[in-house]
Amino acid sequence: MLVEIAQFLTILSTGLFFLNFSFSFLFDSKDQHIANLVSKIYTHSSLLLVTSFLIYVWLAVSDNFSVLYIAQHSNSNLPIFYKITSIWSAHEGSMFLWILFLVLWGALFNFVTDNLQDLKVKSMGIISIIIVGFLLFLLLTSNPFETILPIAPANGADINPVLQDPALAIHPPFLYMGYIGFVIAFAHAIAFMIEGNSSVKWEALVRTWSIAAWVFLTIGITLGSWWAYYELGWGGYWFWDPVENVALMPWLAATAFIHSISVSSKSSSLRIWTILLSIIVFSLSLFGAFIVRSGIIDSVHSFANDPERGLYLLAFIGILIIGSMTIFSSRLSMLTSGSAIKTFSKESFISINNIFFGVLVFSTMLGILYPLIYESIYEQKISVGAPFYNAIFVPMTVLASIFLFFSVEARWQRKFVIRSLINSMSISALISGSLVFSAYKIFNITGTWELISIFAGSLIIIRYLFVIWDYLLNNKYSNPFSVIAHMGLGMLMISIALNNELSSERALNININQSDMYQGYEIKLSDLKLVNNPNHDSVQAIFTLTDPLGNNFYLKPEKRKYFARGQITTETDIYVTLLKDIYITIGDQLKDGSWIVNIQFNYFIRWIWFSAIMMSFSGIMLIVSINRAKR
Amino acid sequence: MKALRKKRLLTVLVILLFSGLGSFLIFKALDSNLDFFFTPTEIIEQTVPDNKRIKIGGMVLEGSVIRDKTNITFQITDYKHSIVVNFNGAVPDLFKEGSGVVALGYLKNGIVYAEQILAKHDENYMPPGIEIEK
Repeated sequence: MLVEIAQFLTILSTGLFFLNFSFSFLFDSKDQHIANLVSKIYTHSSLLLVTSFLIYVWLAVSDNFSVLYIAQHSNSNLPIFYKITSIWSAHEGSMFLWILFLVLWGALFNFVTDNLQDLKVKSMGIISIIIVGFLLFLLLTSNPFETILPIAPANGADINPVLQDPALAIHPPFLYMGYIGFVIAFAHAIAFMIEGNSSVKWEALVRTWSIAAWVFLTIGITLGSWWAYYELGWGGYWFWDPVENVALMPWLAATAFIHSISVSSKSSSLRIWTILLSIIVFSLSLFGAFIVRSGIIDSVHSFANDPERGLYLLAFIGILIIGSMTIFSSRLSMLTSGSAIKTFSKESFISINNIFFGVLVFSTMLGILYPLIYESIYEQKISVGAPFYNAIFVPMTVLASIFLFFSVEARWQRKFVIRSLINSMSISALISGSLVFSAYKIFNITGTWELISIFAGSLIIIRYLFVIWDYLLNNKYSNPFSVIAHMGLGMLMISIALNNELSSERALNININQSDMYQGYEIKLSDLKLVNNPNHDSVQAIFTLTDPLGNNFYLKPEKRKYFARGQITTETDIYVTLLKDIYITIGDQLKDGSWIVNIQFNYFIRWIWFSAIMMSFSGIMLIVSINRAKR
Repeated sequence: MKALRKKRLLTVLVILLFSGLGSFLIFKALDSNLDFFFTPTEIIEQTVPDNKRIKIGGMVLEGSVIRDKTNITFQITDYKHSIVVNFNGAVPDLFKEGSGVVALGYLKNGIVYAEQILAKHDENYMPPGIEIEK
């Protein structure tokens, strides 16, 4: 009964959202009554949808296995937390969550902005029609409300064990919030072009929203990376898997976007490009949904293969892109305004940075699509792996950071005088050079690109340290958000280079009460335990490690067998130190009773995530400061 | 007017030159970093260069797994032909005799020396290009 109510509410909200779209485009959006009406309808239709989702959550929590999706992905033995997160462990529920977030972004925007704010009515209309598109997709091709009639199964099939994890439970919500958050910028860009009043500063209206979405996306990607590291047992932080790449592309484009937004809102010279970027970012987000949902790409993440869903999404994205590009090209003359960009002004550097981001997005897209193209032409299956992406990303990032280094003191619409900065710049270069030399001498880092990355990374960090120094000593203004985010980039480059060069792994074969040596550490398998849990049994191996100084610590990796699916998983155990992780997994038991043990020394891996956190932190601080300035 | 046109032409040419050069470099990087995917039959019927990293996919042949400490040797089969794979390290949890596997490595004297063994998350996964006749 409840499930039918939930479905009915969703259908009802679909109709209301469509009504909202019609109102916002049929009537005069400058009219106070229309503006209030559109805002009210949106609030009501979103309340319907949120209620529907909450009912669905309740259905999952109360083990209502007459709902097909819940029966397939949940289980009565699961803790309540995972009963809820099982909703987004597969396709239908994920789409439902995606739509919920889309609606919520719109609702939040609707709530905090004045009804007569420029572009608001049309933007709400555009958001509504996008919601309608996704709701129809949900109801027609991937209905989460489908029931098993007449008799419901006694228990559900369980959530995939590797997904029963706190980081992964919150990873998809963050990622979706990020992806779909760019709808605000997209809707405003379209509304701006439709209304055709070039004096409206649409960039300023969407700046905070876009940064918020970017922060969610950054955190979402970082969570995914962290989860993959400890849960999958491979020990890496990034695998260039297609599904990771489709999250990376909107991130790269969005990073370019939030950079150019500040140019475009200050001097309107990059307006065309910024509008185009907002369309690209949103399209890439939808493209990500398409790639993951359609299953056209063979990936460790891919959900069900379903051509119908893929086709619907492809058509939907196609209409959105073609529609927005048509509006875009018919409004080109309105957008070409403003002055030319001065060389060595801040705008010029941001334009260059956009080129770098463009190349990275293009290459990633190529890496995803090339195997499909290649196979259809040559009938030969290929895959594009890490070497390709490294060959592009490493030199591009280094080049971009060199430009960043020169741009630190650049000012808006003004040339900057390099002579006044020659001291701080040459000192930065000198210190970075000596850092690289010591990395080479002391840590034996010999990889050319690693050394170059360390140089470029420390160049940025030290250059910004000078900026901080100048601020503390001479009270010279600096943009703290830019400082933190870019120092995060520098740290990211250094830690990735060091991680790549220093990390190592080895498979060992150890029997109980025996030990082996690796990298000066003694690794002893001191005990094996059987542990019983509500939904799985596990074998826990207890290792006593002794470091070169004679200190002891314990690591307890596990092998688990989950009852509901009979699936076996590996649980890693990690000893975290400032510079490195000691990472242990157990493999199979051999006939003589000994175990295959994989041990990894992962250097600077925490620093990689910390860099990403620094970037998101700068974004959060920027939002807070913008809101404070408004009051 | 003429000067302006000349300047525009120059700008367009420079943009074309750079994007052309950029695309060339990107495609070159792409071409030299492709992993080709083969089934055991394709490896036997075609000549596969031994200095190129390849992926080979199929099923783990029942009864072919031999372990010696951390070393594991097994055969990947498409139920027509089989190829011996050698790997040092821990294999993934889903690695089982009779289930799907992909090995990434180099072919040398008819043996694949794998750097990485992948077994898919999905228990119903079937490597591409294989139809089982049982």
